Amino acid sequence: MPTLANYLIASGLLFAAGLGVVMLRRSIIVIFMGLELMLNAANLSLVAFSRYGLVSGHQNYNAQILVFFIISVAAAEVAVGLAIIVSLYRARQTTHVEDLDTLKF
Amino acid sequence: MNSLFLEIAVVLLGIVLLLVEAFSDRSNKDYLAYLGAAGLTGVLALSFLPQIGPLPMSSAAAFITSDIISVFFVRFLLIATIVTLLMIPGYRTVLVRYLPSERAGGGVGEFAILPLFVCAGLMWMVSAIDFIMIFVSLELATITLYVLVTYLRQNTASLEAGTKFLILGALSTGFIVYGISWIFGVTGTTNILALPDAISTLPESSLYALLFGIAMILVALSFKTGAFPFQFWIPDVYQGAPTPITSYLSVASKAAGFVVLIRFLLSLEALPLLANKLNAVITLLAALTLIFGNFAAIPQTNMKRLLGYSSVAHAGYLLMGVASLASLMAIPAIGFYFAGYLAMTMLAFVVLQAVSEATGGDEISRFNGLSKRSPFLAGAMLLSAASLAGIPFTAGFIGKLLIFEVALKQGHYGLVMLGCVTVAAGFYYYFKVLRAMYWQQPSEETAIPVSATTKWLILLLGAGILILGVYPEPLLAALR
Repeated sequence: MPTLANYLIASGLLFAAGLGVVMLRRSIIVIFMGLELMLNAANLSLVAFSRYGLVSGHQNYNAQILVFFIISVAAAEVAVGLAIIVSLYRARQTTHVEDLDTLKF
Repeated sequence: MNSLFLEIAVVLLGIVLLLVEAFSDRSNKDYLAYLGAAGLTGVLALSFLPQIGPLPMSSAAAFITSDIISVFFVRFLLIATIVTLLMIPGYRTVLVRYLPSERAGGGVGEFAILPLFVCAGLMWMVSAIDFIMIFVSLELATITLYVLVTYLRQNTASLEAGTKFLILGALSTGFIVYGISWIFGVTGTTNILALPDAISTLPESSLYALLFGIAMILVALSFKTGAFPFQFWIPDVYQGAPTPITSYLSVASKAAGFVVLIRFLLSLEALPLLANKLNAVITLLAALTLIFGNFAAIPQTNMKRLLGYSSVAHAGYLLMGVASLASLMAIPAIGFYFAGYLAMTMLAFVVLQAVSEATGGDEISRFNGLSKRSPFLAGAMLLSAASLAGIPFTAGFIGKLLIFEVALKQGHYGLVMLGCVTVAAGFYYYFKVLRAMYWQQPSEETAIPVSATTKWLILLLGAGILILGVYPEPLLAALR
């Protein structure tokens, strides 16, 4: 029987992996996958906290409701985000972050 | 009037306008912006009817509130959206140039409609008292803003700005959700108003888990408010985004971020140990934001970038107010600062849009000799820069004075001294614009045309700056 700590470690690893991908990888599509990984890490920890954090003997379902909202928001974000990346590719023929240098840093 | 009806009215207005746009054959889409602005003015009038908040035991009461902060900021957001919509007709030529379309005016109309949905999202955000509500309304506003920032599909600057905004925005979403999950895990609640009770009985051992969640949420909120450590997207996105959207980002979405930050910090004051730690963190963030915003603005040559750094600097002054939340006068001071900030920032962007429309660029050198080409626009920019820098008899001066006063009362002497130094730096970079307008020779002598809408917007915003600067009492009394 896995404990709350097991789930939290798994979700922490997922979050760190996602953040690492965002920080280190150079392709915008891969970065976007890393961002999705971070959201799913949060989903996992929310469900785990909801399942194990018993308040007066009942599960607290608020967090599980939030998970549904996060899933649907992530879908909307992907729809808009991929559209933006596609139009960027059409205009610049690239999806690498190094090539985004029109605006000076 | 139930306070929820205002937001629902804004969403309905947006849906109706989308249908109107779909079934209308007119190729000139300016009427959509005017219809939207007129509709929002109606909603603004409705907001002055007697309000009843959600009934105490109703299901809505768990998610939204109708207190003095939310009532003020709902009106603030409506006014900011109205000004943005009225800027859009003046931006039509740029939109048409950078939008691929088979029929005349295709794809232009939605640019004036999408801000309504952002406005509804931000309005819910300033009334929200539950993390679920905050998250959903924040994402409604942010995802719509991704579309608006990237709107000029054939302009590489807009596309790049949109991509950077998308990635960093999604990153901050990841942080806020993970932070919420840890706060929920420690306290067992997603409701901000229930947090004080939950954390006052916490065992010492779970304090670090709570602090981890709080840190995550602070990082994510610093993205929205444009404060350190998540301020680095601001200059690029402000420079690349369409000008009306830049002004909207710098005023409305910053304000909503600050309201959530204030509500969150107020709920954490129940635990004195935690409150002291957080106060030190916010003080540090305010100092770093002030330093970064003001000193990085000095070498800028692009006006939109300059205003971007200036908006980071103003976030620093506002954070000084947030660091002094223990004072009763802090929230009126922050609200007043925002009212002045709306008038002066949007005035600067309206003038910038008119100038770059006529000269074809956003660089400060495009303002050369503006006093000869259009004394009216130059005068408006003078007033706006004076207020942004904080010269007496303007809204910016009173706003800074109030913020410094509450910070002094709370003993933030170092922060106030730093604030005085950065105000001096601010004088320098705002003066660069004035020097270009009044001392440099224009490259050509033709007068810059000012449309009637732009002229009225400038007159109203300028009047707002002066009235708030000379006669601040009524607004302050309403905020107390």
